[in-house]
Amino acid sequence: MSSDAPGLFTRRATGLVREGRTRDALFYNLLWSSVGLTFAFFWLFAAFYPGASALLAFLIAAALGLPGAFLYAMLTQLMPRTGGDYVFNSRSLHPSIGFAGNFSYSFWLAVVIGVYTTYIASYGFGAFGRMMAGFGAGSGWLDFGDWFSTRGGLFITGTVVLLLSAAIFAFGGVRLFFKIQAVCFGLYLLGAIVVPVLVGLFTSHSSFVSSFNDYAANLGVQDASAKLAASATELGFAPADFSFEMTLRAVSIFWFIFGFIFSSNYFAGEIRLAKRTHIYSMPGAVLLAVLVLLCLVPTYTHVIGYDFSYMLGFADPAGYGFGAGAPAYPELIAIASGSPVIGAIAIIGFTIGLLTWLPQTLMLVSRNMFAWSFDNVMPAKLSYVDPRSRSPLIAIGVMLVLSIASTAIYSFTTWFTSITALLGLTLPLLVTAIAGTLLPYRHPELVENSPYSGKVLGLPMLTVVGGLAILGFGAAIGILLWDPGSGTSLSDNSGKVLLVVGVYLAAMAIWWISRAIRRQQGIDVDLAYRELPAA
Amino acid sequence: MGLFGKKKEGGGSNAAARMYYASDIHGSAVLWRKFLNAAGAYRAGVLVMGGDVTGKVVVPLVEQADGFHVDLFGQRTVVSGDAVEEMEHKIRNNGMYPHRMSAEEVSRVAGLTEEQREEWFAEVMRRTFDGWLALADERLAADTRCFVMPGNDDPAGVDDAIEAATKVEACDGRVVAFGDWTMISLGYANRTPFDSPRELTEEQIYERVSALADEVGDMSRCIFNLHVPPYDSTLDTAPALDENLAVVMSGSAPKLIGVGSTAVRELIERYQPLLSLHGHVHESPGATRIGRTLAINPGSDYHTGRIAGVLLQLKGDTVRHQFVTG
Repeated sequence: MSSDAPGLFTRRATGLVREGRTRDALFYNLLWSSVGLTFAFFWLFAAFYPGASALLAFLIAAALGLPGAFLYAMLTQLMPRTGGDYVFNSRSLHPSIGFAGNFSYSFWLAVVIGVYTTYIASYGFGAFGRMMAGFGAGSGWLDFGDWFSTRGGLFITGTVVLLLSAAIFAFGGVRLFFKIQAVCFGLYLLGAIVVPVLVGLFTSHSSFVSSFNDYAANLGVQDASAKLAASATELGFAPADFSFEMTLRAVSIFWFIFGFIFSSNYFAGEIRLAKRTHIYSMPGAVLLAVLVLLCLVPTYTHVIGYDFSYMLGFADPAGYGFGAGAPAYPELIAIASGSPVIGAIAIIGFTIGLLTWLPQTLMLVSRNMFAWSFDNVMPAKLSYVDPRSRSPLIAIGVMLVLSIASTAIYSFTTWFTSITALLGLTLPLLVTAIAGTLLPYRHPELVENSPYSGKVLGLPMLTVVGGLAILGFGAAIGILLWDPGSGTSLSDNSGKVLLVVGVYLAAMAIWWISRAIRRQQGIDVDLAYRELPAA
Repeated sequence: MGLFGKKKEGGGSNAAARMYYASDIHGSAVLWRKFLNAAGAYRAGVLVMGGDVTGKVVVPLVEQADGFHVDLFGQRTVVSGDAVEEMEHKIRNNGMYPHRMSAEEVSRVAGLTEEQREEWFAEVMRRTFDGWLALADERLAADTRCFVMPGNDDPAGVDDAIEAATKVEACDGRVVAFGDWTMISLGYANRTPFDSPRELTEEQIYERVSALADEVGDMSRCIFNLHVPPYDSTLDTAPALDENLAVVMSGSAPKLIGVGSTAVRELIERYQPLLSLHGHVHESPGATRIGRTLAINPGSDYHTGRIAGVLLQLKGDTVRHQFVTG
């Protein structure tokens, strides 16, 4: 064929050219993976990891997540727009395994939503009030901000933002959600990423310390940086040299980004003409997140520094004027900027990133529930879509109740640390990696007829990538089980590890019980999955 | 909406039938074979294919001295010997048409006007579709009824091929009966941004279907088999497209809109048939009630090698349904 001859001929037909833009899928993955929240986590929990290198930790986390990103991209290319891992695992392994993974993932998303709601209250609204007081707007703002960090404040604020998220779907539907999201995304990028990088670039540490003292003085404490150091030292802080062990443990924090950066399977093209959308958007999002962190980490350490962050983690916040709790990075950036306007942009951008995640999660889980209901595993009502709002309102309502319960748990108990849910969220990823590895053997026709029919060292390409993903996800699980800061270490939190396994096994039991009940009703659930002969 | 949902009250004959409906297989040979095999696998006496049976892409296998040059999924390969048929098989199973051509013929087709190329496409597709119909003659049992209609993406020759088939029955634009039930069908869609071969205005859709519906006396045992789903029904949700046919994004996600037919919705609301079956919008599977009518779109995942369909248990003026992916 001459180089300029067409490789194929297409005709006039619907849907032929419809494919999401790679750029959009990239941003979707980046927003979903919560770079801002995870960055806040790392510095808030820095005292757990003295001597850890943030740069090295996130690079290791990215390396562990990269094969999984490639695998998800390939599986999405093979089975686009069909329900993500629920379908991958149901087809490659068994429907009960597919359901268990998806149910488990949804369960732990419902749990982790409590992190978002309480962080919105504490590090969003609370931080904003404190910032206004810190810049001299009056103690009334401090009382206002502090209320959000009380148990009642966390729960009430979390519940209100959840109700508002659900109301978006109930009253404005998916269309309103998209409109809101469009605005929010820009504000998030500006406030949570661009402003912190610029402030970090153009502000010195000494200038920050001076601003910190002025800020704390307005909160009622003079010479706060010295008092911070004294309190931290009293509670065990000492400057730490680089520690590879701590760096490796700290990977568990950054896994919050790189374990969940391939959620753009909605952006499936209708014809597999080109591989670029998924291949570029999922592994590409890993690289983009690395780039963002490569900008955030050095600029943050330039202006705030590791030792200052460690001290914030060790010290009693009341000792240096921050009685409601240590500040997260947006508030520190606000302080460094010395400007309430720039500070407001940083805190609002960060908060909006968290707020946007709530309806996104409600949507994602309700979509999973829809799929279970569609296959008769769950009651039919869960798949009801309100024609006016185009929203699965009953599924969203169920998720809303679970999310409020999660907010209550995070507000009133210490059952879960912030990243405890990570193990529960990662286990289904490992199952998907196993399913991808076996897919060329379980459904050879599907793989052979795809763009991924090639072999590497005599093994199917998908098996090789799946094997690497097993190693990456497996290593991440290993770190989560090892790191005491993860909240799911085998040594300190064996009960929570059992809970993670228990939820998965319970979900498998639910599938089999549901199948038996449907059989009594005269419905053969197996028909929903049984492949017809193609001969 | 229930999968095998609640039985409706009703009387009349106790006659029963099991029906399998699928749509939008878009040239996938695997899915056509599965569709035919559904009769035996699901013990369905009636099969209905709701349109868009032909593919959208022809992949040339360009004959050169060293073999056939093929560009598939953006990868150029050279195949010869047995590998040629394997490649053709792979292309067919992806819903595309392999076509052995010389380099000169490729250049000639590339130089055709759009209308001329559509005719060329129709000829290539017709050859494959004739083979499918011959396979149906071989496979289908004598007591199985199999109705196939073209959809908005299918070129004109498809009708003639179905009319000429032995076992497969044409149903587009007419009233057909099986058992105690009647079915009226229309494969045309409302206007799309793609200017596909079979599109009508909403008024034309309304006129054509209402003329058929007026022939049917008992709507309680009537099935609408209309390719395009009713507007704003949750069965018609698709991403909005801009003037370049690219997905319109809102923030970081596609903007979703209803793309169904307002005429179809009005027709269902007016006539209230027992059941209304639809395809066309692949990404919007589901079932919903419009008045007493159960409206269903099983969706389509044709490029995955799995056929999305729905099993329907008809009994008198009641119907139960279960989505199946085979």
